[in-house]
Amino acid sequence: MARVYQVPRHAFPWLISGVLLASLPHMIRAELWLSVAVPLLLLWRIMIQRGRVAMPGKLLRGMLLLGLVGATLYSHGTLLGPDAGVTLLVAAFALKMLEMFRLRDAYVVIILACFVLATAFLFSTGPLVTVYIGVVLVLVVAALIGINHPESGVSPWRHLRLSAKMVAQAVPLMLVFFVLVPRLPPLWNLKVEQHQGKTGMSDSMAPGEISRLSRQNDLAFRVEFDGEVPPPSLRYWRGLTYGWFDGRRWSQAVPPALDRQEYIRFPSGVSPQWYLQLLADRGDVAWKYRVVMERTGRQWLYAMSVPFSDKTDVGLARDLRLVRRTDIETTYDYRVASYLIPVAVEGLKEWERKFYVALPSGSNPRASAMAQQWRDESATDADYANRLLRWLNEEEFYYTLEPPLLGQHTVDDFLFRTRRGFCEHYASSFAFLLRAAGIPARIVAGYQGGQLNPLGNHLQVRQYDAHVWVEAWLPEQGWIEFDPTAAVAPARIELGLEQALAGLDEQTETGLAAALRSNPLLTRLSYLMDYIEFGWAKWVLGYNQQGQLEFLSRWLGRVTPERMVMALAAVGGSVMAVMLVWMLWRARRPGLTWWQREYRAMLRLMHKRGLNPPAHLPPSQVIAAAAQRYPRAAMALQDWHSCFEAAVYKPLATEPGLLRRQLVVLRRKVARMSRR
Amino acid sequence: MKGLRRIVTRLWHGWLQRRIPPSRQVVLDQRRIFIFPSAYGFFFLLIAALLFIGGINYENNLLLGFSFLLVSLFLMAILHTFGNLAGVKLLAAGMRPGFAGARGALEVRVVSDSHAHCSLWLHWPGAPAEEVSVEAGEERSLWLSVQLRRRGRQHPGRLRIESRYPLGLLRSWSLVDLDHTCVAWPQALPGGECPTSGGDDDSGASHQDRGSEEFEGLRSYVAGDSLRLVDWKSYARGRGLNTKQFSDPAEGRLWLEWSKLSGHDPETRYSRLCYWVLQLDQRGERYGLRLPDGELEPGTGLLQRERALEMLALSGGGG
Repeated sequence: MARVYQVPRHAFPWLISGVLLASLPHMIRAELWLSVAVPLLLLWRIMIQRGRVAMPGKLLRGMLLLGLVGATLYSHGTLLGPDAGVTLLVAAFALKMLEMFRLRDAYVVIILACFVLATAFLFSTGPLVTVYIGVVLVLVVAALIGINHPESGVSPWRHLRLSAKMVAQAVPLMLVFFVLVPRLPPLWNLKVEQHQGKTGMSDSMAPGEISRLSRQNDLAFRVEFDGEVPPPSLRYWRGLTYGWFDGRRWSQAVPPALDRQEYIRFPSGVSPQWYLQLLADRGDVAWKYRVVMERTGRQWLYAMSVPFSDKTDVGLARDLRLVRRTDIETTYDYRVASYLIPVAVEGLKEWERKFYVALPSGSNPRASAMAQQWRDESATDADYANRLLRWLNEEEFYYTLEPPLLGQHTVDDFLFRTRRGFCEHYASSFAFLLRAAGIPARIVAGYQGGQLNPLGNHLQVRQYDAHVWVEAWLPEQGWIEFDPTAAVAPARIELGLEQALAGLDEQTETGLAAALRSNPLLTRLSYLMDYIEFGWAKWVLGYNQQGQLEFLSRWLGRVTPERMVMALAAVGGSVMAVMLVWMLWRARRPGLTWWQREYRAMLRLMHKRGLNPPAHLPPSQVIAAAAQRYPRAAMALQDWHSCFEAAVYKPLATEPGLLRRQLVVLRRKVARMSRR
Repeated sequence: MKGLRRIVTRLWHGWLQRRIPPSRQVVLDQRRIFIFPSAYGFFFLLIAALLFIGGINYENNLLLGFSFLLVSLFLMAILHTFGNLAGVKLLAAGMRPGFAGARGALEVRVVSDSHAHCSLWLHWPGAPAEEVSVEAGEERSLWLSVQLRRRGRQHPGRLRIESRYPLGLLRSWSLVDLDHTCVAWPQALPGGECPTSGGDDDSGASHQDRGSEEFEGLRSYVAGDSLRLVDWKSYARGRGLNTKQFSDPAEGRLWLEWSKLSGHDPETRYSRLCYWVLQLDQRGERYGLRLPDGELEPGTGLLQRERALEMLALSGGGG
């Protein structure tokens, strides 16, 4: 058995707590077995350190490793990818604690701790998590300092102090790097299989799916406007359109006559005819704003119609929505200018019209019959649509989050039997009725509304703001928005989902959560948190290549690689130089010996107690005077004086650390005893 | 190739000699301190680089920020590792001689005037290192062993003082010539006739009977007196340590003579003489030493032994 490397006692608490806290975010997030295995392994290590049990042998360690690999395989089905990789890393990291035979192993554990800490950022990027990780890094660095100090009898707090100091000193330099190091595009395309599923709107919709989304409180995106914020009834955030109906489910579909090149126009690609036409026809800019979107794992972006983005990897699709080239895997930040909807000059192409009126044959016969009859009775398409809206408004339709299940002919069933539904029921039926009357129609999915945060004057749009509505092609007008939900529950559009449901005695959340939400202090706190998070998302998470270019061009004028390198060297170098000068100055300054400092501390105590011995008095007389004034403290004063003399005159006779601690203890005793 | 290396070594030593000239007292400052990343430091930077690549590929700014923080910590560690060594004062102090081929020891005092210096490792070339930490205003003394090769006064080379505190990412070190020397006694070479003159006969191994000497009385013990001459009985009775004094009969003196060992080369002669000094000292006999460049009056005890050995070490120009 190899001789076991003993982690210094003063470093051990930091090492154990650093390892535990570095693994904690993963233990909370990942599988249950991990959050059991890591503390057990650490407990084992503590027992080893205390000498209760021996280091496990090679065989046992091998079996443990196999067990951990097996457990990872069992719960992930693979060992590759960030998800399984991180789980395995955390487990192996805790196991490494049982394999510390040399100083080098301790170093490896600490480097691994840094690595595990960093991987937490793959899964959450909030400001609180960042602060937490900074604190744990201080602990890990304290452990590193401890193992580099092989002497015994050192106070562990000293390592923590130095570590906190070093990390604090490193922060300004890190900020310099953060701002100035050029942001590179990804080196190779990492198709990340994120652990989280895709969130938000999906690329198809069946009855009941949007209402499920509406129960989620998660943030979808935040919007910051240049200038005034549009009223709630105009806040329609378009994400995607569903053009294909199979009788039950509406899905996103590209008209078969178009290829992708022609369907989505990217700034780097060629501009198709319809895009040029749109540029020529578009009206004035209605709104300018910045959207900071949470991760969705999907490609589409949310904006008001007709959106034009500043991003090079964002294109405009033919159905007037923004699409990114790659999936949104991290917080994504983009600026949009929304133009007024152009009046259509050109009609729909024949294949387009066919695509947008297509319905499965034989579905919903009753609704089809009604649609044809009503269209015949109406003068124009617009009249027909308005009649439908009036009908929805006047008949006994109810807006509810808990609609009853629908049979085979969903539209018939809903319109003539249940009459209780959420926005997807109304939009789906409305679009069906339009198409059945031969009017091109599509469903638009996205969000409607959003809550204004008065602190930052920005909108928070949450999953429960998810909404679907309808666009119909009207001759000589183009695509016109219709929101059948507004006809049934106007409050949904004006006030938001919560208010709309409150009027119907339905709630999106439990009573307790609602009560907490209505507390004004908590509301203000949640606004503050939201404000901080938005700033974080904008300035930290969203500081990308483009943001960097904009920021730097303010200082450097034209941003060239040489200028960036020079700026980095100049700013980073001067930060380093300031620190160096400070350290040299500190080294040069003749310091006091520890016992001189101790004597000063004693004099300060005397001063506080109102004793002002003349400066020329030797310590013995100062102490005698104090003893006379405070007879209760006389004993402690005497003891302090003898220790002090021993420290000054017989420095080699005793362990200096011991004497020093003793003096501090005695001085505190004097302070206690001399208190009146 | 070998020649080139020799030239480089010579240039290096010449440069060092000019940069850090020999002195009994040295305060380490930026001119005397070298610093370079340790293997662990390079590993640490590698991990930071990996995190940087991860941050770029996952387009994760916080991951990037973390890697920048690690690099900044490394840069701060340069200052701290340097600062840990800067301001250390080294003083050449005591010396413990040893036999050639074995080890001697030299004392170095490590003094801190301003701030604490943690985990300093000191060693002479080719000898094991010792660790020491000094608090502000403290002085620590270290005995560092020295490999002694030849008889005579020896310069141990440059003292290497090294530290990786606080993070172990960098190694800062200095090579200091403390102008310190260690005396190496000759290696004892057993055998041969005792090279003596004087006494009642020339048979070296002659065993002198203490009883035949005249007991003169007691005097109080002085450090260096042979323990064989201590009056242990009186010590046991609580009268303190006393040394027995014997009269000094002329025929009881032994002179170890260099000239009696003719036919051997000088180093062998010193080694033989050394052996006999140790032998006679062990027996508690009274002996003197006569070398071509000096002589030592007969005497006994530790002090006599030290003197004799030092004379043997330094005689003939120190070997």
